[in-house]
Amino acid sequence: MRCFGAIVISVLLAGCYSGGGPKRTIEGGSGGPGSLAGAPAASYDVKRLDGRVDALNRYRGSVVLMNLWATWCPPCREEMPALEQFYAENRAKGVVVLGVDQGESAAAAGAFARAHGVTFPILLDADEQYGRSYAAIGLPTTVIVDRRGHVTRGIDGQLSLAQMREAVGPALRAQ
Amino acid sequence: MNARQTAILVALGAIGLTLAQDVRPGFDLYHTWQYAALMTIAIIVLMTYAASARRGADGAAGRRIAVGIIGALTIAVGGLLSGLIGPDTITVGGSPGTVTPVPDLQAAVFFGSADPETIARGDATVSLRQKGTDPIAVPTGGRLFLGTSILYLTARPAAYIVARDARGNRLTVTQPTNPTFLSPVLLFPQNQPLRDKSYPLDTFAVPGLQRIVRALYFSADDAQTFNRLGSKQPALVLSVNDDSGKAIGLTIAPSGREAAVGDLHVTATLGTFPQLIVASAPHPALLIIGLLIFIGGVGAAFVIPGGRKPLGLPATEA
Repeated sequence: MRCFGAIVISVLLAGCYSGGGPKRTIEGGSGGPGSLAGAPAASYDVKRLDGRVDALNRYRGSVVLMNLWATWCPPCREEMPALEQFYAENRAKGVVVLGVDQGESAAAAGAFARAHGVTFPILLDADEQYGRSYAAIGLPTTVIVDRRGHVTRGIDGQLSLAQMREAVGPALRAQ
Repeated sequence: MNARQTAILVALGAIGLTLAQDVRPGFDLYHTWQYAALMTIAIIVLMTYAASARRGADGAAGRRIAVGIIGALTIAVGGLLSGLIGPDTITVGGSPGTVTPVPDLQAAVFFGSADPETIARGDATVSLRQKGTDPIAVPTGGRLFLGTSILYLTARPAAYIVARDARGNRLTVTQPTNPTFLSPVLLFPQNQPLRDKSYPLDTFAVPGLQRIVRALYFSADDAQTFNRLGSKQPALVLSVNDDSGKAIGLTIAPSGREAAVGDLHVTATLGTFPQLIVASAPHPALLIIGLLIFIGGVGAAFVIPGGRKPLGLPATEA
């Protein structure tokens, strides 16, 4: 047993001085907006330009094209006319276009919307909650939500009118 | 030291080393070959004694102690397996309102949304979701056992940034160096050495004004050294450049108070945001059962009349 005791003590000492076990860090998993396809669409209550509270989940039952944008973003400015045209074409089919301004004041977003003749609802996401939840890796980011409230597509970057039609098509055809 | 004393001592050691995994989880030692070797030797010693004592080599008391040793063996085997096959210690971080997959747990970690008050209080929520199950909230200050894993939260420095222009209009805050592009919450993934200390460092951008800002986090104690206003609050030291790299200025932003550099006005609310630690540890139920058997067996050997044998003396029959 003395021999055993010696082994135990020596191994214990070796163990105490090792100090080099493996440790890993997994940080902020984000595969971009496309990685959210199929997931339930997160929703947050925020103010609209007109001061009323609104949220994505209030449009359950409609196909929603949600566009995350900001006034300082040049591709967002270029994309606005196509978004407005898409809204005019599709609102009668039950498609909702939601513009979600990221982190700016109502004054800035309102002036921008008026200057671009925007008629679809604009939400003011002061805390950028939608941007984070939808794994935005830049602006603009577009997310398509089906009638059941699930994300069908998440797209990073500016879209043309044709790309918007193509992105919404499957959700619109699905019952 | 005789065999009985050695066995009890080794049993106590093995129990202590296994309990340590629950009391101080995440320690590197549990995943080393030395720890595994130590536990294996302990298991061999305990098995050898238990087998011989059950055959009567250590008298009637030895038989009862052997039962207690089986309890210690249960714990030791649990400790060995946890160290060998349990997951390595993982730190899981994420921005507020985001999801981080953890393949080792076949689960995703949801980090709750945070406003300035949540950051200041440091009580943002974290929950875990495995496929087909309801989300499990990880309690702040508590622990959660999941299979061979123990989950708990630790706090990391965080700052909620509100940026405005000179007219008071709120501006978008982005984090070009972080995986989450749109987030007004800084989580300081880097460190900046200054003299003999290291300070948490993060970077954010305010694209509306074409500004890039480096933010160094100073705790309340550190801030007093730098804060000209004599505030005892934690503070950020902000170094502002334009997007071509030209320096605009430097300022100190005490928590909750607006600071300005040129036309950029920043209010930083400082506090903490949780990160999840996943470490291997045997389930407490195993430890409790093993401990009860150990205490019961060893206790019976010393309490039940006729079962007691003087320690250090060989067993003798009258």
